[in-house]
Amino acid sequence: MSLPILFKDELTGFYKSKVMLFLWVGLPVISLLLYALSPDTGGVPASVFIALIVASVGGALASIMLVVTIINEKERKVYDLFVIRPIKRWQIVVSKFLAVFICLTIAGMISIIAGVLADILINGAISSALLQGLGDSIVITLCMMAIACSASVLIGVVSPSILIGVIAVLYGANQLAALVVLPIFLANSPLYLAGLITVGICIVLLALAVYLFDRKQL
Amino acid sequence: MADKEVLVQIDRLSKRYRNIQALNDVSFDIRKGEIFGYIGPNGAGKTTTIKAMVGILTTFEGDVRIDGRSIRGDKAELNRDLGYLPQKAAFQDWRTVDQALNTFGRLSGISKADIDAMIRQTLEQMGIPETRYRKIAQLSGGTVQKIGMAQAILHRPKLLVLDEPVAGLDPESRYMFRKLFQKLSEEGTTIFFSSHILSDVEDIADRIGILSAGKLVHVGNMEELRSQVVNVKELLIELSQDKGGMAALEKASGVQSVQLETVGRYRLRLMPGADFDEVTQEVIVALMATGSRIRSVRPLLPTLEQIYVDYLAKGVIA
Repeated sequence: MSLPILFKDELTGFYKSKVMLFLWVGLPVISLLLYALSPDTGGVPASVFIALIVASVGGALASIMLVVTIINEKERKVYDLFVIRPIKRWQIVVSKFLAVFICLTIAGMISIIAGVLADILINGAISSALLQGLGDSIVITLCMMAIACSASVLIGVVSPSILIGVIAVLYGANQLAALVVLPIFLANSPLYLAGLITVGICIVLLALAVYLFDRKQL
Repeated sequence: MADKEVLVQIDRLSKRYRNIQALNDVSFDIRKGEIFGYIGPNGAGKTTTIKAMVGILTTFEGDVRIDGRSIRGDKAELNRDLGYLPQKAAFQDWRTVDQALNTFGRLSGISKADIDAMIRQTLEQMGIPETRYRKIAQLSGGTVQKIGMAQAILHRPKLLVLDEPVAGLDPESRYMFRKLFQKLSEEGTTIFFSSHILSDVEDIADRIGILSAGKLVHVGNMEELRSQVVNVKELLIELSQDKGGMAALEKASGVQSVQLETVGRYRLRLMPGADFDEVTQEVIVALMATGSRIRSVRPLLPTLEQIYVDYLAKGVIA
């Protein structure tokens, strides 16, 4: 029962602190602008281009936001009032991950839909090949965002300061997220492998984050 | 008080932070329904004790048992009956008072149907119903402290653990908090609180624990504290009409010395072993025989502050 309450609370926080607004409105606008302003996209459709932007820019922004939030709340002892309730500490960590990941997923979907609309406007229709490519891009985008978010939760839990946390996210979480793309490009592996790798990495990172959050003297 | 059931048992609690021994073999009990004041210098280990009690601190030696159950076990059930106010209650910047209390209340087990009425009732109890839909970040420090208290008592816990609850409050709010503690205690809530405001501790605590450099120096009620620390007994006498009071008082048996503080105001030091009631009776008779008019006669009991200072002077508190 506590997890839905915590999850709803996190979503309320994102909504109230305007993070949601930025992700859901700002990200599609930025993605479309980047597409429009790019001199040469090499024939990449707007929807696929935007999926890549969401995975990299959106993932990085959400990761930084997540890590800053966790470290800030940790420093201010905000969690003191949570951990003394009849809840499990892992629920705090997991609810944060879920809230950011779902917000980011929605932002990604809005951006990609905007890209699809742009493609229809430019080309008059979408080919089935484009739809196939778009589907792959969406899966890879979701995988990269999930890894970036779970790595950020872990970094947020262990980092002693916001600066170190942000550096670790930029040079760690986002590079780790790229791992999922490697088998697809290097070994031409099927897409479901990326999904499996993602689930595995996320479980390990979140389990580690939960363990350390539980052990850490807040 | 002695026959009251024990609610919290602190058993040989020790905690070390690298080179600092924050707590050293601290043991004491808190009885059901009592108000327990916890005092000591900065860095004595008060907050560490509190964090171990409420389960924020998870690595320590010894044990804390609440209602017979160790907090090392499943804390969910124990935490349902626990209210906690940290030294500085921190809330996320985006929260309104209503959102904070709603989340904390629901997490503490209050049903969706009851939460609204309980928030309203608690805010009224704290004297801040108008703040309900305001952002906490925009409120004054004192009001935030009241909201901190509101989240602690919202779910009507059996045990309230408060770390410096009145620090930073204005006199009116301090008075309100004291009255609230007394009311909650009368309703059966057990209250454990730390404070540097010794007059408040003296006024409201049933028993007091004194901590120094991680060690528990004393646990007891004010009477026990007084008897252990200060042996000097004094009487303060005020006369509205003084007709040779000094001479009469000096002659009274059981009186060691008499000091005239101001006109008509005498401080009497009693002989060791003298009985307050007997000497009081004797000085009243002696003064009335002189024709003096007595306004008041009262024993001068050492305050907690004096006891604390005495402890400091003797090096009991470091």
